[in-house]
Parts: sequence; structure tokens; C-alpha cells
Amino acid sequence: MRRAAALLLGAAVVSCLSVPAIAYLKLGTRIGTRTVTMKWAQLPIRYLVTNRGVPGVTAAQFEQTVTRAFHTWDAVPSAVVSSEFVGFTLSSPASGDGATVLGFQNRPELDRTLAATSFMVDTTTGAILEADIFFNSSFSWSVAAQGDPSGFDLESIALHEIGHLHGLAHSAMGETELRAGGRRVIAAESVMFPIAFAAGSIADRTLKADDIAGISDLYPAAAFNRETGTISGKVTKNGAGVLGAHVVAFDPRTGKLIGGFSLSDDGSFVIAGLDPGPHVLRVEPLDDGDIESFFDVTLNIDLDFRVKVYDTIVVVPRGGGTSGIDIKVQPK
Amino acid sequence: MSGAGRTGRLPRALRIAVAAALASALFPHLARAQMYVGSTAPHAGSVEVSAGASWAAAYELNARNAEETRNTGSGSDPFVLFATKSRVTAGTGGQVRVGLYLTHSLMVEGGVHYLRPSLDTRVTSDVEAEGTVTATERLTRYVVDGSLVAHLTPLSFAGGHGVPFVLGGAGYLREVHARSELIETGREFHGGAGLKVWLGGGAPRFGVRVDVGVSSRHGGVDFDTARRTVRTAGASLMVLF
Repeated sequence: MRRAAALLLGAAVVSCLSVPAIAYLKLGTRIGTRTVTMKWAQLPIRYLVTNRGVPGVTAAQFEQTVTRAFHTWDAVPSAVVSSEFVGFTLSSPASGDGATVLGFQNRPELDRTLAATSFMVDTTTGAILEADIFFNSSFSWSVAAQGDPSGFDLESIALHEIGHLHGLAHSAMGETELRAGGRRVIAAESVMFPIAFAAGSIADRTLKADDIAGISDLYPAAAFNRETGTISGKVTKNGAGVLGAHVVAFDPRTGKLIGGFSLSDDGSFVIAGLDPGPHVLRVEPLDDGDIESFFDVTLNIDLDFRVKVYDTIVVVPRGGGTSGIDIKVQPK
Repeated sequence: MSGAGRTGRLPRALRIAVAAALASALFPHLARAQMYVGSTAPHAGSVEVSAGASWAAAYELNARNAEETRNTGSGSDPFVLFATKSRVTAGTGGQVRVGLYLTHSLMVEGGVHYLRPSLDTRVTSDVEAEGTVTATERLTRYVVDGSLVAHLTPLSFAGGHGVPFVLGGAGYLREVHARSELIETGREFHGGAGLKVWLGGGAPRFGVRVDVGVSSRHGGVDFDTARRTVRTAGASLMVLF
């Protein structure tokens, strides 16, 4: 789900099965006591498009735009994903009909939601059976090649929602500021950041390193596991694990930023999809968005610690992992 | 008997050697004057072995900012989350070389250098944290090289004890990160000059060697693909066989 600029998002997933989003960059579903990654078991993802346009965007333009967004994800060389446009439908994007549908819906009651993705999931395997994306036609939309300040860029928002459709959760790779009426994004380096850029921006038509690592981690091509590596460790405060810390790996050679979260009570984190070589690790509290945009609201996410740059360079091996990193943070 | 007549006499070559040894003992300053220039050692086939300390200067790596894409209306330049500047520090360690004289003044040698520099990344200007942090790791660098060494015998001094030399060659660079997670290899070409001071005469004999140079390197721990130039120096004890 993605909200308009200056506003916060709610939960990443509006699901008929109420699956929590608690995995690193990926959506998950609980099966008993374990969490299973949500992903498509069968590719290509076959999708339909609602045969309905809105002012400024015809149904045909809508289809062409979301197909471009699908192809952007399909083109990630280190991931194996594919999609296929099946045709137009008169149906709305609603869960439970067995079809994956993308389309406009007028949802004026969701005055801060640009679009959202819902799922039907096999709760025994985590396999996504169906996903639907609605784009809120109570907002103005644009498909202008260079963007149009009078409308939100459909391709950018579609790229974000299709990331969810593949099973990606939100990324925290962005900075925001609080203003009257809500939070405004200053900058972001992930299409999967929960708050959209302002109307007219087309910056989110391009996947960033964090997005590419996420989709590749979820649907890895053979080369991904062979050519990239992982960093894992713990974030602790006063000897106890920190839950929900945002850990960012920065590659000083390339400038790539790829993030992950500490996802358990002992503060364990894993960041995948890193290029081999030295990395700088930076840990920050999750203070640039609503917690519910990232985690189940029942989790006790720790925001009470200062930003910390780890004082040891962490080197990522090719096709392997560096583990045992222990980052100690201080209370604010 | 002619055989009996030769019994009490030394062969001519041995007599010359004995005379030279006596002369060397009785007139050491004359012997030293001929230790290098015009002497019989080193000569083609002489072997020189040296071991000692090695040093390589620091070199700068690219400065790189952690950047995010700005929202419309937040400015046009990328948003800098923090800035980094990286360098490989100077490294000290050891070296071992073995040389083979091709002529009186030309030698080929092979060597192994072992150094322990650090990779430092200085993190500044963090938008959410005060101060500066330097993240670091220790590297292990091996350089296996080969050189052609030309001794400048006309410039020898101190009665032939000291002789300057120039050298040039190429080598293989192998740099291992702190926990051996990654090994980065490269090539190098080097040139330099130095001085050898022999402490005795003949062979085997001992001496001291110092040299300085520059190494043009490609690969290894670097943040771009351009060649870099690194200053080097060494000091060794050596023995000539």
C-alpha cells in the first residue's frame, strides 16, 4: 500500500488472510509458530486489468503502464520473475475470485491511500495464489512521459505495488520530516519506501539497489547466490537484543545502499544481495515512518537508540556470508 | 723424475689464490678497493639473498556519499545521508629476495613482500549522528615480484663497499581482507633505486641494502579500475654467495 506524499501508510498488506509483514524485505505468513515467506510458486504471474479508465488515463494507457512496471521487475537480471498480461476484465481488483486484477477503484474513504495490494495465500506453504492491486481513483493520476505535477505518476506507484504483489514488504530506505498534517518524504532510495514522492515525480520508475536485492533474495537467479553475499549479526543495547533496528549496508565502492532489519528479540539481522567487498554498516531506529508500515503492530519495536556507524569495515565474500557482527547501540 | 719434481709445488692457480689471500690479509685496504669493481665476486652465477623490512605508502580511495533521491521540492542535488572517504594506510612488513647475477653488474631477483596495511573509511556528515567515525579493517598484502637490477659500478664508493643500483620489474599483488572473506588480486610494475653496502669481501659476504621506488598497481583493494602509484621502500640484510 502506498500513501500520498505528506501522509503515512498503514499496514503494508491489506489481506483477506491478515498475513503479517515481519520478514526482511519480504512479506510473510505465520503457519503455527513459524513464519513462511510469501511468494509466487508458479510463474509467470498472469494478471488482468480492469477495463476502466479515469480522467487523464484510459484503460489502455493503464494497461500499458502497469505492464511496463511488471517488465521493470521482470528485467532484474539477478532475479527470476516473469509476468503475463492476460486481458481486460470488467471485474474490480478484489480478492477471492482466483484472478489477479489491477485496476482503478474509487475509494474516497481512504483519503491517504494511493494504492494497495491484497493477497490470497496458501497458508500451508506461503504460496501466493492471487494478488489484486487497486489504484485509488479519488486521486489524480498521470501517465505523462516526464510526469505531470497535477497527478501522481501511475508507473511509479504501480512499480511499488507490484513489488508488494511479488511478496516484498516496505523498505525503510528514506528520510522524512514531520509537518502539519503528516509526514513528508525528503528523500528515498528504494521504490519500496512506504511514502510516495510528490505528484509529478517519476523518480520511482527506476528500481534501486535495495529493491533489486529484495526481489533477488525472494526469487534468486543462480548468479545471485553465486555472485553476491550476506552480512548477518545482532544489534544489541545494554546487552539485550534490539528488535526492529534498520541496518543499512553501504558499499563505498559503488555507493549502493541495501537495508535490512533486526527481526527477532535477540536483535538478529541478515542483509542479502550485497556485492563482494567492504561495506560500512549503519544502524538507525525506525523513525521515518509508522511502525505499522513495516511490522505487525503487536511487536515491541525499539526506537530508543542513537544512530550508530559500526567501527569495523565488514567484508562480504562472493557467494557466501559474513556472520557474527555485533553492533552495540546506545540509548538516546 | 718429473713426477717427483712436481710433488712439492702448488698449482699456479692455487698459488695465485694464496698470494691474493696473503695480500688481502696484509693489505686489507687494497683488497677492499677491489671488492666490487673489478673483483671476481659477484660474477655471473653469484647468488644474493636478502631479508628485511618493507614499507609501502598509503593511497587514497574514492570519496563516496551515501545518497538518496530527493523528493520533488526538496532540492535537486542528491540527499546525502552521510559522506565517506576511504584510504589504504601505509603498511609495514617484511621482504625476502633471492637474486642471481647474470654479469658482474646485472642481476635478476625475485622477492616476496608481506605487509599489513589497513583499509579505513571515514564516515562524516551523517544527517542523524554527530561526529566522525572511522570504520577500519586490517589487510594482509603479499607482493610476489621479479626485477632486473643494474648495479652502477662506476658510481661505487667507499673503496667499493658501496654501490648504487637501479631496478625495475613486475609483480603479482594479493590482498586478503581481515577475516579472509575475500582475496583481491592485481598486478604491479615497479621501478626504483637503492644502495648496497658490503661489510666484507669475497664470497660469502654480508651487506646492507636499502631501496626506494614506486609501484604502479592495478587491482587489489581499490575502489575504481584506474592504476594507482604507490611509493615503496625497503631495508635488508643481504649475503652474497
